[in-house]
Amino acid sequence: MKLYYSPGACSVGIHVVLEEIGKPYELALVPLKDGAQYKPDYMAINPKSKVPALQRDDGSVLTEWPVIATWLARTNPQAKLMPTDLEGEIRCLEAMDYICGTIHPQGFTRQFRAANFTPTEADQPKVIEQGKQLATKYFDVLEKGWKGDTWLLPSGYSVADAALFFVEYWATRRSGMTLPPHLDAHLKAMLARPAVQRALQQEGLPA
Amino acid sequence: MKFYYSPGACSIGIHVLLEEIGKPYEAVLVNLREGAQFKPEFTSINPKSKVPTLVWDDGSVLTEYPAIAFWLAATNPNALIMPEGPEYQARALELTDYCVSTIHMQGFSRIFRPSNFAPNEADHDAVKAKGEEIFAKGLHLMDQALAGKDYLLGHYSFADSALFYISFWWNGRLKKDLPGNVAAHYARMNARPAVQRVLKAEGFA
Repeated sequence: MKLYYSPGACSVGIHVVLEEIGKPYELALVPLKDGAQYKPDYMAINPKSKVPALQRDDGSVLTEWPVIATWLARTNPQAKLMPTDLEGEIRCLEAMDYICGTIHPQGFTRQFRAANFTPTEADQPKVIEQGKQLATKYFDVLEKGWKGDTWLLPSGYSVADAALFFVEYWATRRSGMTLPPHLDAHLKAMLARPAVQRALQQEGLPA
Repeated sequence: MKFYYSPGACSIGIHVLLEEIGKPYEAVLVNLREGAQFKPEFTSINPKSKVPTLVWDDGSVLTEYPAIAFWLAATNPNALIMPEGPEYQARALELTDYCVSTIHMQGFSRIFRPSNFAPNEADHDAVKAKGEEIFAKGLHLMDQALAGKDYLLGHYSFADSALFYISFWWNGRLKKDLPGNVAAHYARMNARPAVQRVLKAEGFA
């Protein structure tokens, strides 16, 4: 199994999941800052030009963060990374979809790639500010709806926590944002996990 | 069960699944054009201010298109919209996620709400053009996924509802041509009685 990733991209969340599972896997670097995702070598693997992408042992490729995470969790039940009852599974999926479909692209892509939103350079600070405001609002939705204890789901640690981790990590390490109390405690708990520490170290990222 | 929707919004895809299932549900209109999604009556139900939203009979709320679609499919095996086994289920979710998170939220949102992307009105045409480019690329990938098949996974599944609303926007609303396999899929969807009932209910037929 091979994970296509870029250091510090949302793929770090899947990297955490693979470290939690603990089975051997390969890492393949796709440096987004060099535009490697648009080169033919990578587009032959994932024509969407995105990371993460997971190549399975039979050569087939799985894309979309929530789908890769769900597949890894369901095919590695011993790692207990996803609830096994339907209600729990759905809540896990709902959280991952919100984080990967809204918080990441609407909140953080605005901050990190403002040029994708406006062609006028002078307007980029406004776009970045709007991204921060939206991310704050989205975090607030999670904070107010928090039903778990340390972890996002009441059933305990899951792949949804690895999704929440990468946006929390961006917010505090790259955006200078302050997290609301549950999320702040969640990030600290994530950073204390050996799997998270290994993934960060392997990607050359500070803890 | 209550189903919160706005006519012609992405909720139309979930509306199709509900009609395919055929069990009773209550459709509740949230008029996005009038900003009803930001009013306390709705934000107290879904603070994300989005449709589709499902409210179960016990009062609990389910959001996010892929999660709603997956739940409806899983709880209604007779409707035959859930593919069998984790591999096909992963593929159905992958296709759904791409329609929702990329083609819709990155492509269509740029075309439909350029002011959410660029603050300066003079840039809105450029934003729309980029949205069309993202949308067209997404349709191209869907066209390839449909090669030699009637439906995205061969058999009909919940993923087809997501491609249906994408096609409905591109062809039905923006009057643009769909690539061959997607056009054939859209025609197949429009021939389904469940889809025809939904188009009528939402005022498009």
